[in-house]
Amino acid sequence: MGALLLSGVALVGTGGLLCAARSTFRTGLSLEAAGAAVVAVAGFWALASGTSVGGTFTNHLTPRLGLDPLSGLFLGTLGLVGAPALCFARDYLRPTGKDRAVGSLTAGFLLAMVGVLCARDPATLLAGWELMTLLPAAVILVAHQEDRHARQSVFTYLAVTHLGGVGTWVAVLLLARAGAIGSPGVIHAGSGLQAVVVVAALVGLGTKAGVMPLHVWLPRAHPIAPAPVSALMSGVMIKIGIYLMIRVLVDWAGPLPVWQGVVVMATGALSAVGGVTYALFEHDLKRLLAMHSIENIGIIVMGIGACVLLRNRGADGWAALALGAALLHTVNHAVFKSLLFLCAGAFERVAGRLDLDRLGGLLRRVPVVGGAFLVGSMAIAGLPPLNGFASEWLTLQALVHVPRYGRVADGLAGALALGALAATAALAAFCFVKVVGLVLLGSPRREPPVDARQPSAGMAGAVAFLALTCAALGVAPGVLFARLVGLAPWSAGLPVGMGLRLPGTGSLPSPAIAVFLIVLAGALVLVRGRGRAAALATPTWACGQMVSRRMEWTGAGFTKPLRLALEVVLRPQREVVSRREGGVLQEVAYRGEVPHLIEERVYAPTHRLAMAAATRLRRLQSGNLGTYVGYLMGVVLILLVAARLGLV
Amino acid sequence: MGGATLAEASVQVCGGVLGAPLLSGLIQAAKARLQGRRGPGPLQPYRELRRLWSKSTVEVEGATPVYRWAPATVAACMVAAVLLVPAAGVAPGWGVGHDAFALVGLLALARFAIAAAAWDTGNGFALMGASRDLTISVFMEAALVLSLGVASLSAGTTDLRGVVVGTAGGGAWATPALALAGLAFGIVVVAETGRQPVDNPDTHLELTMIHEGPLLEYAGRDQAYLQWAAAARHWIVLVIAAQVLLPHGRTVAAQLAALPAVLVVLAGALAVLETVVAKMRVLFVPRLLGVGSALALLGVAAWLAPR
Repeated sequence: MGALLLSGVALVGTGGLLCAARSTFRTGLSLEAAGAAVVAVAGFWALASGTSVGGTFTNHLTPRLGLDPLSGLFLGTLGLVGAPALCFARDYLRPTGKDRAVGSLTAGFLLAMVGVLCARDPATLLAGWELMTLLPAAVILVAHQEDRHARQSVFTYLAVTHLGGVGTWVAVLLLARAGAIGSPGVIHAGSGLQAVVVVAALVGLGTKAGVMPLHVWLPRAHPIAPAPVSALMSGVMIKIGIYLMIRVLVDWAGPLPVWQGVVVMATGALSAVGGVTYALFEHDLKRLLAMHSIENIGIIVMGIGACVLLRNRGADGWAALALGAALLHTVNHAVFKSLLFLCAGAFERVAGRLDLDRLGGLLRRVPVVGGAFLVGSMAIAGLPPLNGFASEWLTLQALVHVPRYGRVADGLAGALALGALAATAALAAFCFVKVVGLVLLGSPRREPPVDARQPSAGMAGAVAFLALTCAALGVAPGVLFARLVGLAPWSAGLPVGMGLRLPGTGSLPSPAIAVFLIVLAGALVLVRGRGRAAALATPTWACGQMVSRRMEWTGAGFTKPLRLALEVVLRPQREVVSRREGGVLQEVAYRGEVPHLIEERVYAPTHRLAMAAATRLRRLQSGNLGTYVGYLMGVVLILLVAARLGLV
Repeated sequence: MGGATLAEASVQVCGGVLGAPLLSGLIQAAKARLQGRRGPGPLQPYRELRRLWSKSTVEVEGATPVYRWAPATVAACMVAAVLLVPAAGVAPGWGVGHDAFALVGLLALARFAIAAAAWDTGNGFALMGASRDLTISVFMEAALVLSLGVASLSAGTTDLRGVVVGTAGGGAWATPALALAGLAFGIVVVAETGRQPVDNPDTHLELTMIHEGPLLEYAGRDQAYLQWAAAARHWIVLVIAAQVLLPHGRTVAAQLAALPAVLVVLAGALAVLETVVAKMRVLFVPRLLGVGSALALLGVAAWLAPR
């Protein structure tokens, strides 16, 4: 297993080097994909066998690597998403200088993530963590050398993840100092140290995972990366934050007090509802997908919060199930989100740009990719019988058990989270009806660009593989879920079955539901046009008018009822300018947007304050050598005085 | 399979699949009488279905398989949901399970399918209805999950068979939890069945349609599937209302015996509601459903308080 993992890593590394040369570019990407697949096999093997290899966790700063089932799950997910993404990249990227650098850096990015997952000491962990942040920034900068806007987005990404990332350092170093890495129970439950570690971890890891209100970088950075890298960032990188969150909150920091569990669950609920609400009003496909990552991370974090609360109340069995639900949603989201990002990449080639209101009709123009996109949309909308529904069902079950075992405060918090998750699922369905309608259905709303390229077989194959994985994980979630429940440090696991059969629930026999729905719907479709009921072709009915392109609906129109219903909270802005001549309306210009409240109310003032402070501080920088010598003298004097007074 | 299970199975299949149109027919007939009209008889929905079955379907020009599959998917979801919702405290395992939250997923899939079909044809009225339906669904789903959550807390399981058993008799009504959840569920019933004040099922004015809008582009058997599905929705939510969120007997025999009467009374109540209440502005519906969610949360609090 360890040797397999190392050979996978070696393949990825070699592939990365080969990418640098023009002649071996495609071979290099193939090797990277093969390496990712080998890493996936090694990871899932570790998960299935439940064994660990290599070193165990240490609190010393000596580098040490190892592999255990939890790392195995995330490595498996990384490979499961990485291999198709790199296959896609083989045809998506061209051996130009820019794309060659992207290919090589992607290999480094993958290796950094493997490093974090295999790190068994704080130094390797933090080093891998920083590389994992910096390398995608480098990829975006390389891909958009000329674009000032992209550079600014990368700067925001780095600034926010590094400011927030301080939390990660604080949490990991405090844990190492207390000797708690790998040994839960060292930190006393309810101690101040535990509170600091948990809050720091939530801030640091939450920033990386994209938890609201620390998410601002995500909708900026993810959409501008090349499609395969977006897929890796949204599919895998933010999940590494979840990986460490589970290590710290569920394992190393020990059983958490109730208020901390409530805080975790509340941030999850905020991210889920907030992410999907703002996603609904996005006009760009990739930005919309990025906002949905925030939603799904929120669902995962709600599951972790439920796990923490249930553990605190002594319901260990259900705590393990809640953790399993969070982990299953992690895998599911990795699969369908990377699928959707890769499809978006293919659509960009076919239709030019990705502004939602100018797409349309792509299901007919690119049937395989379009069909895969439809499957991914239904999965992310949490519809049976696909994988998103299985994990959302499990999370609902976990949340309803929080009031069952809790007292009034945490019970009500659990009920609120339950309602929030239900609303989130409905909002996601709303959003993806809109996306499917605007992207895949209807007629094209713009002429295809002259350089439109049909997706190659490799690209179509990659997305088809991910769509099949969505279906497989939806039909037989129990196979994986039984293993995931066993990952809780206190649990023995469930018997393996295809569907989800849990105590105290009506069970979700997903294979039977899938067969039932498909067979019955298929039969009804066959019967619908038989005999005298044969179909007649008609145009769309519009009160007798001819249907023209000007009558097509836009995304803004479709979401308007919700925008009006949530007006008090969202404060949408609209501007209508009409020009009249002689009492006759000549033209109307409309502009509307839904500003992000957290950015306007929290980040913009903070940013202004920081800039003002920086202007003040700049006066210190005179450029005069004498002044700097003076500063040094001043510091030395202050230190001497402090030492004299016994302060230092 | 015991006698009780067999009896329940026949009620569930006959009532849900065959008897569901009678429910909407009863509501129409009662409403007509209340409004001083003679109106159609309660069997009118069956005649409608027979008429639609023999008429030709329509293929909208340029539509994809999404349009063709939507009515069948909606109907299949409703058949699965009818099998999922037990008519009493026992039910045979039909293979689809009996979980309360799985029901929510099936209803969502049906909504997704018909809304996607609206985009496929590009019919403005269909899209208007779909966008309103989806807006309402956001608030409806929260209230639905929370009220089912309260019932499952009282019963200690989310298996609807267990929920029917757990909420039977007087014990579960010792706290106001179930009553509050019942009020919340009542609002959900009105929204999910598309009755006034949320929606007007009798309207012929496309601009005011919610649930009817996306059905405009269909004819023949497709329309029959959709109309049957709308009737089955009545059965599903009214059976849950009768056997979970209203007082019901402890034995399967008592539950099954009382069910027809309770369903008729509930249908009558919907008819009265449709007669005395006008349709509300569509933007006020989320507030109404928000009240439902708040009531259900109060229900959770009432269930938690004595502990």
